[in-house]
Amino acid sequence: MPDRSWWRLQALILTSLLLLLLTIATPAWLRLDGMPPSWPVLWLLPWAVVEGPIAGALAAVLVGLGFDSFYGQGMTSIPVLVVLALWWGQFRDARRPLERSTTLGLQALLGSLLLSASFALQLHWRGGSVALAWQVSLAQALLTALLAPVICSVQVLLWRRLTPDDGR
Amino acid sequence: MAMGRRLSRLLDRSLLLSTGPWLVLLLFFLVVRVSKGAPLADLYAQLSRPFWPGSAQSEWLKDSQHLEDQQRIATLEGRLARLEQDQQQRNQAGDWITAPVISRRIEGWWQQLELGAGGLQGIKTGAVVTGPGGVLGRISSVTPSTSRVQLLTDPSSRVGVELQGGKGHGLLFGEGSSRPLVKFLNNDVTVQPGDVVVTSRASSVFPANLIIGVVQNVNTQAGPAPQGLVQLSAPADQIDWVRVR
Repeated sequence: MPDRSWWRLQALILTSLLLLLLTIATPAWLRLDGMPPSWPVLWLLPWAVVEGPIAGALAAVLVGLGFDSFYGQGMTSIPVLVVLALWWGQFRDARRPLERSTTLGLQALLGSLLLSASFALQLHWRGGSVALAWQVSLAQALLTALLAPVICSVQVLLWRRLTPDDGR
Repeated sequence: MAMGRRLSRLLDRSLLLSTGPWLVLLLFFLVVRVSKGAPLADLYAQLSRPFWPGSAQSEWLKDSQHLEDQQRIATLEGRLARLEQDQQQRNQAGDWITAPVISRRIEGWWQQLELGAGGLQGIKTGAVVTGPGGVLGRISSVTPSTSRVQLLTDPSSRVGVELQGGKGHGLLFGEGSSRPLVKFLNNDVTVQPGDVVVTSRASSVFPANLIIGVVQNVNTQAGPAPQGLVQLSAPADQIDWVRVR
């Protein structure tokens, strides 16, 4: 009978693959104003909240590499994802765990906005610009925040159940 | 008898002498009228020949005609050279490769298509991608079985363009929206909505004269030169098959 670590590894691989698949092809009905939700944020937030800052930062690098391989073109999401993972990882040992739907939604909203801001800054440094940057960022942040209570709550429960020492 | 007397009065020598000059004058003016003044003009030319302007102006006219001819020859030679260059590029580039669109990321920060054909099918980085209607973008990266297209609307896309008919040259900037911005290089460009935008003849990236889209609205107050939004003729969100070369 495989132990929890084995199942956790399986879940990690499967959810990562699902993340990459959704990144490549987000269905049209899951978009707001043409923007998909920020999938890396929706995956990283529950992982970092359960596993802590170090495991979160490592996962952020991996997720960032995967995300950049599809988009990239000189821009990277890794620094912001690492910062977010370090921040969200602090909630693992907090007195009140980060698991309420509204709190998860708010964290996802802020994470998505930070990620969009980093892309806007990188574009600005490279001499480019996005005409509707605010509209694009807000649409993505709103959609991410709306999906976070559903997706992140399920993932938090999943990671807690599969953590070898039974979570916190 | 009376009849003969009347006839002799009509042919009276003095009468003929008095009316003859008038008849000649009448004949002369009739000829002038019918010939639209040609004898008079010729006569005037012959009479005024000593007073005609010197040969200098005539030489100037001949020289300017010569210069104009030379300029026209140079223009035609340039056009011919460009056509030969285009033909050469086309011959080097080979045939169009048809590829399906397997994924599209037409979002704010990125404007990309993923194609289901890659290096194995002969697609190379930098190749031009067109769809029904016009240019879509360029190949930015290639794998053996897929290739990624950087669309004209991508925020990092810059393409040299001109208005059809050589009315003005500019740069097309992707801005992450469906309508890229064209910034003209000259202030005296006469652009108006409806003008067709094509790839520039000066572009080293794209072949010349490929249709990109239509100017939708123009901001003539923009400095230092007018700007306009371009409605692309090949909408990337609806195209399922593209051609690559």
